This record gives sequence, C-alpha cells and structure tokens, in this order.
Amino acid sequence: MSVDTFFPGPRTLATTGPLLDQSFLHKLETLSLALRRPAHGQLKGAHRSRRVGSGMVFTDFRAYSPGDDIRNIDWGAYLRMDRLILKLFEEEADLPIYLFVDASRSMDYGAPRKLDYARKLAAALCYVALLSHDRVNLVSFADANPRALPARRGKSQAPQAFRFLESIQPGRQTGLHSALRRFFGAPRTRGLVILISDFLDPDGIEPGFALLRRFRHEVVLLHVVSPEEREPQLPEEVVLVDAEDGVASELDLTPSLLTAYREAFRRHGQDVEAYCRKYGWAYMQAPTDVPLEELTLRLLRQEGLLR
Amino acid sequence: MTLPAVAPVALTAAVALMVLLLYLLKPSPRRLIVSSTLVWRRVLRARNRAPDRLRWWVSLLLAMLIALAVAAALTRTTLGALGAAAERVVLVLDNSATLATLTSDGRTRWEHAQSRAREIIASGGADSRYLVADTQRSIASPRFEEAAAALQTLDGLRVMPWNDPLFPDVLALRDQNPSAWFISDGVAAIQVPPGVETRSVFQIADNVGITAFDIRAVPGDARRHQAFVQVLNGSPGAKRVELLVAGAGHSPMIHTLDMPGGAVANEAFDVSGFSNGPLRALITTPRDALAADDVAYAYLPASKAIRVGLVSAGDAALERTLRLLPRAQLLLVPPQRVNARSGVDVWVFDRYAPAQPPLAPALLFRPPQAQWLPASHGDIGATAVTWWVRGHPVTDGLSLRDVLTEHALAIRAETPTQVLAADANQRPLILASPFGLRWVEVAFALQDSNLPLQAGFPVLLSNVVDWMTGEPLALKSQPGEVRLPLAGAQVVDLQGRAIQTREAMGATLAALDEAGLYTARAGERRLRVAVSVSDPSVTAVNASRLADQPAAPTLQARGWNFAPWRALLLAAALLLVLEWWSYNRRWTV
Repeated sequence: MSVDTFFPGPRTLATTGPLLDQSFLHKLETLSLALRRPAHGQLKGAHRSRRVGSGMVFTDFRAYSPGDDIRNIDWGAYLRMDRLILKLFEEEADLPIYLFVDASRSMDYGAPRKLDYARKLAAALCYVALLSHDRVNLVSFADANPRALPARRGKSQAPQAFRFLESIQPGRQTGLHSALRRFFGAPRTRGLVILISDFLDPDGIEPGFALLRRFRHEVVLLHVVSPEEREPQLPEEVVLVDAEDGVASELDLTPSLLTAYREAFRRHGQDVEAYCRKYGWAYMQAPTDVPLEELTLRLLRQEGLLR
Repeated sequence: MTLPAVAPVALTAAVALMVLLLYLLKPSPRRLIVSSTLVWRRVLRARNRAPDRLRWWVSLLLAMLIALAVAAALTRTTLGALGAAAERVVLVLDNSATLATLTSDGRTRWEHAQSRAREIIASGGADSRYLVADTQRSIASPRFEEAAAALQTLDGLRVMPWNDPLFPDVLALRDQNPSAWFISDGVAAIQVPPGVETRSVFQIADNVGITAFDIRAVPGDARRHQAFVQVLNGSPGAKRVELLVAGAGHSPMIHTLDMPGGAVANEAFDVSGFSNGPLRALITTPRDALAADDVAYAYLPASKAIRVGLVSAGDAALERTLRLLPRAQLLLVPPQRVNARSGVDVWVFDRYAPAQPPLAPALLFRPPQAQWLPASHGDIGATAVTWWVRGHPVTDGLSLRDVLTEHALAIRAETPTQVLAADANQRPLILASPFGLRWVEVAFALQDSNLPLQAGFPVLLSNVVDWMTGEPLALKSQPGEVRLPLAGAQVVDLQGRAIQTREAMGATLAALDEAGLYTARAGERRLRVAVSVSDPSVTAVNASRLADQPAAPTLQARGWNFAPWRALLLAAALLLVLEWWSYNRRWTV
C-alpha cells in the first residue's frame, strides 16, 4: 500500500546551510533572557540571585562579625552609631538553562517542518543564553532516551551547540514524561527549562509538566504549530495515518467535522496555555508560518521572554 | 417457471450483483500521514459515529434500491405479479348516436362510458390485456393490448352515429379469461351475447329532434313545393319547440310547437318562395341534450315547369304518364312541326325521329332510321331485358328485370353511345348519348312491350327528364360514410370544402360526418346529398332497455394497477436525494 504524505519536501532531515545567518546572530546579540525569579546558578553570572555576596546591588545591613569582609563595613554608620555595620549586596549568578527540543516524528511535518523551525528557534535562544554566560543544556527528546549536550557557557560554545542542534533526527513517539524523568533523574540545578514542542503526546502533557513543577524550575513552553495542522486541507474521504504510532483513522470529512477539528485543535493549545498560566509558566505559540526573526525579535520580547 | 417470470428475477439479481461488485471494487480512500491523529481521534470520539460496517451496509442498500428502481423503470417492468391476476378483458363500447346525449353533470353519456371503461382497465392487474371494440366497428381489427395501449385506443374512439350499432364479433378472442363488458346507454337495439356484463351509462335527458324532413311538389302544381317536417319530443315532459325552416330567397319560416312528452308533430311549410337549393330545418328548445338531431337538410329542386314535347301516333299510357310527372308540361306536337317548334325542354318521340337532330334532348321509342342515330339492321323479335346499368341516372332506382318485348330494333351500338340495357345476347335495348345533345333511344315500341305496365315506367321517364334537364334528385342520408353512386366523384360541402372520399366498386364512399348539404360531381354528373340524422330511434334518447338498471358502483383497483416505471423513477430520484443527504450527514459511506 502506498503511503502518501500530505506535504511536499523530503521526509528525512537534511539541513542545508547554517541554522542562523550572521545578520540574525548580530541582532540577537542585543538580547538577553528575562527571568521572573532569581537565578540559582553556582557560578558568577549576569542574573540576580537570592544569595548575598559581592554583587553590585545593595540589599541589607547586618552587624559585623569577625571574618567578614571589612570592605563592606559602612563607615558612615560607624561614625554615627559607633557600631560596625556591614552592608550586604545581592550576588549575581549564572542561569542554568535546559533547552528541550522535541524530536518526535510528529515534528517531522509541515512546510516548513516543525522540527526545522524548533531547531532554529532553539539555536536563537541558545545563542542569546550563551552570550549571557549562562550554562546551556541542549536536550533533544522523543521518547525515553533523550540526547543531551553537556552544559556549555560562553559565545565560543555556540558552534558546538549549533552542530548538536543540526544533528537532531526525528525520533519516534513523543514521550515527554519519560524523557524529562530520565533527564532530571540526575541532579540538576534549578534553572530555566525551555521546552520547544508541539505537545502532541499520546500520554498527555500533564505527567511531564508535573515533573517540572516538582523540581520547581522556571518553565517556558514554546508551542510549535504548523498551519497544515491548524487549517488542514484534506480530501473528503481520507485515511489519516498517525506519523508516530501508525494508527489509521478513516475520515469522511464534512464541514462540520472540520469545524469540530479546528475547535479541538484550538482547545488543545488553550489547554497547554491554561496549564502554564495556572503555574506561572510562560507560554507562547510559535507558528511555523511566522518568520523566525519576527518571533524572536518582536513576539518573544512582547511576551517578556527576551529583553 | 416461465421465461417472463424468470426475467425480472434475473434482472434483479444481475443489478444487485453489479452494484455489490461496484461497491467491493470501490477504491479505498487516500492514506495521508499526518503529524498526529490525536486531535482527530478526540473529535471522532466526541461525534459518536455509527459503526463503519453498518454505514457501509446502509449505503449498499440505498445504492441497490436506486439501481433496481432505475433498471425496473428502464425495462418497464410491471408489478402485475404483485397485484391482481393477469386477465384478458373484452371491452365493448356502444358509440351509437344517442351516446352523444348530455347528462346532468354536463358530460355526455359517451364520456361516462369512457370513464367506465377506464375504471375497468384501472381495476385490472398490470399484466392484464384488454381488447377494446365499439358497436360502430370503427376499430377494424380489435386486439388484446396492454392497459396503456388500451387506454389510447379508448381515447381514439368517438361517437359515430351512422352505422347500425352491432355487438362486434370479438368474444371468440376470449381465449383465456371470459371477462367481457359492454358499456351502453341501452337505447340502440343491440343484441348482447350471453356472459357479457353490461354497464349502463343511461340517464334520463330532455331531447327534441327532427325525425323527418322532406320536400315534395304540390300535387297538381309541380311548380310549388311543400316541406314536411316531423318533430319528436323524446323528453319525459312537455316541451315548447320553435321550428324554423330557412333557405335562400325568402325569410325563414317559424312554427312554435307545444309538445307533450313523447308526442310527434308533423308540420308542413309552403317553401315555394325559396330559391332552389338547400333548405335547413332547425329546432330550438331549452335544455336539449342532443344537438345532432336538431337540424336537418333537404334540397329544394328548381320549380320551373319542364315543357315536354310528345310526338306520337297515339299512346295513352305514355301520354298519361308524362302528364303525371312533376313539373312536366306536356305539349303534343305533330311530326311536321317538330323543327318549327321552339320552347320545348325535352322531346319524346314515339316511333318517330326527325331527320335532323332536334334542338332539345330527346327520348325515342323505336325510332326509324335517322342519320344522327345509331344504325339499325332489322328486327330481333321477342326478347327481354336481362342486363342494365345500375349506376346511370336514367336507370337509377329502376328495375328492368321483367321487361319483355315482342319486337325490337337490332341496333348497332357505336361509340360514344352507351348501352343502358340489353337482352341475353347482349343486344342493346336502351342506349344513351351522354355527350353533346343528350338522347335516349329505346329499341322497342311501348305497345310491343310490357314496359308501360312496369312500376318503374314513371321512374324511367322521370329519370330521363331529370337527366336531360340536369336536375337530379337529391340523395338523402344519415351522417357517416355515404355510398354515392358515382365513380370517382369529388364531394364538397356548402362552403365548398372538399370532403374526404374513397373509391368502392364503381361508387364513391364519402365521409359525411356532419349534417348538411353536399354536392358530388363526377364528370358531367352531379348529385346533391342532404345529410340529416332524422331518426326517431336517435331522438328517443330515453327509450332505453337499461332505464331500470341502477348505476354500477365505481370499480376499485384489484391490484397495483399501474405500470410503475414513472413511480420507480420518482422513487429512484428520492432515494438519490436521500443517499446524497445521508452521505453529507456521513450516515453512509
């Protein structure tokens, strides 16, 4: 039985040329990731943290104890009160960023393919993070065996990160929960989790999201949507084959059925977004028909994910 | 099982099999790979669809019904097997003149008869066969037909008042099912064979009609004519009737009659004031149900006297008969004054012939030799007339069978003379010259034969005078196909319109369907034909032997009496709409 595809183009991943062009990279250099909560990085960085130390931002006073850095004694207060008062400063820390790219077979769809779009979006965010000297962990996942690039820091690591992204191949079925459990099974510093996916998980998204909540990461969900999914153009009689599990569904497509599908698809996005809003996560749809530059330079900034 | 019984089953099976094969051969829908059917599956679960297999069966059922309906419609399959049993039904309709009588509902008895016949056809099974015949034998070869064809035959019938109504000899065709119906008003005297069920369309009606219309010369004055009109009130009650006689040259003459039911009125009109030509008698009375007998026609002959010059040595029978001829004015002329005498319309020469042809036509009895007459060569002794021409105006309505003669001239018949009568040896006894100056030569003298004693002698003289003066008597007839004693005649009505005719054994059959006056011409011969219904048996529309029979109830259909191809096509169309609708609702595949 011949299997047709709904969209044109090669089905195997074969990225041609660099992920991001030079001019776009230059534009990205003016941006940085915006955090809603203080960072918990172990190293010095550019983000506010809850630790008090040698930063630039004054936070509080306390009585001097022997051993404290005498450079932070407030000598003016000593003259007024004849007591040694120590000034406390907010220590700036780096940000552990876990950038997850969904590489399931459902991402190998659309024109442009959702995986290509997700990969470029991840590259852009990764580049911004590397410029901020954040520790970037790149993870591609499909099922229970995620591929991860160990943490990278600094602009000089960008080519390596890009190569990793370029090497991502579409895997099998989406298994968000198992991939996250496997990845966060190892000790990880609390940080920013950026999840780029279509969230078409047969097992549902909530188990995986619950895992992220348990580790109390700050989470940003970028929902990649293809226009072919949003507005499907299908013949009246068609058998739809699921790219991930191969399950066939016979359809007699009527306008009412199509309307019901559009509504269900919209509700699927709304469900994901509602979950995010409930737990203070950031959510944004990334339609593949929106140019990447517009998404990163304008829409992500409007949403407050970049600044 | 017979072949006709097998054929619908085979057709049904073939169509069903074909539809099933087409369904099995139906191409599978396209298979498309999509990113995920997760959302689609949610939608389909929410829509709670019927099982695909059930939908497939419903769809197949609809398609089979549509295909079967269309196939049955195209092959004109009937559902007779599902309805009443197939029968052979004989339907005989009385279409004599009284069936044109109007009934109380404004329809004629004939229309009621047709409705009855349709009811009978409608009540039979679709496979039944019907033989439609009529009492006027207008259907030359009745045969069994399907219901639709029988209805067409029925529609083609009409009231034809001219023939004697007769039950057609069609019952011999009832080879299977002895079902025969006769639909009549019972007025015409028709012998109905036993076993035939009669259905009456009789209803009492008012009718007054002219039953006779004739014109005769007044005895003793041949130049005056009287019209005699007989009127019959066929209504059950009294009627006031206005009788009108109209013609050219005089104002119409009107008599008003008060007639009790069933009464006959005989009226006489002095029509001498009318110019010769057609006369029309017309009656008007309120609520008259039959119009055909309300008018009658006659022909008024020329009223001028015909001067007949008789040259004879003395023959009392001849002289007396000539004096009695209508319009004849007899002049006794001595032989020496024949050429000097003028103003004679017809000469009658008894054993005399002028040396030169006379100026007027002549009837000659045993003339002596003359140049302008055929030569004779002696005498043929005793003989008898054994043969005579029946279509000639001179011998029209005349029998010469018993005419004997003791002596007769042996005449050599020469063209262009025409032999009108001859003996057994084909020797001419009466000759006529139709061209140029008309004359008739009788080869024997009256005192040598018994011709003056024959009843037809005055007729012969009258015919000769009429033929010679060009005033033939008008033929009277009832409407219908009239046999005219003229070969190759052309017939026109009063408006000059040609009437359809056909040849029949030396005569002409003319379709004179309407009352009126017609003129037939064949060469120099001319014949007037006055056509009127003028029949008491027609006017008496209530003299029905079925008057006491109650009206038969309307027959109910005994089966699915219709050739259902139209209904099947309609059903197929409706099923198509249903299939389209159910497909769009995705109740079918």
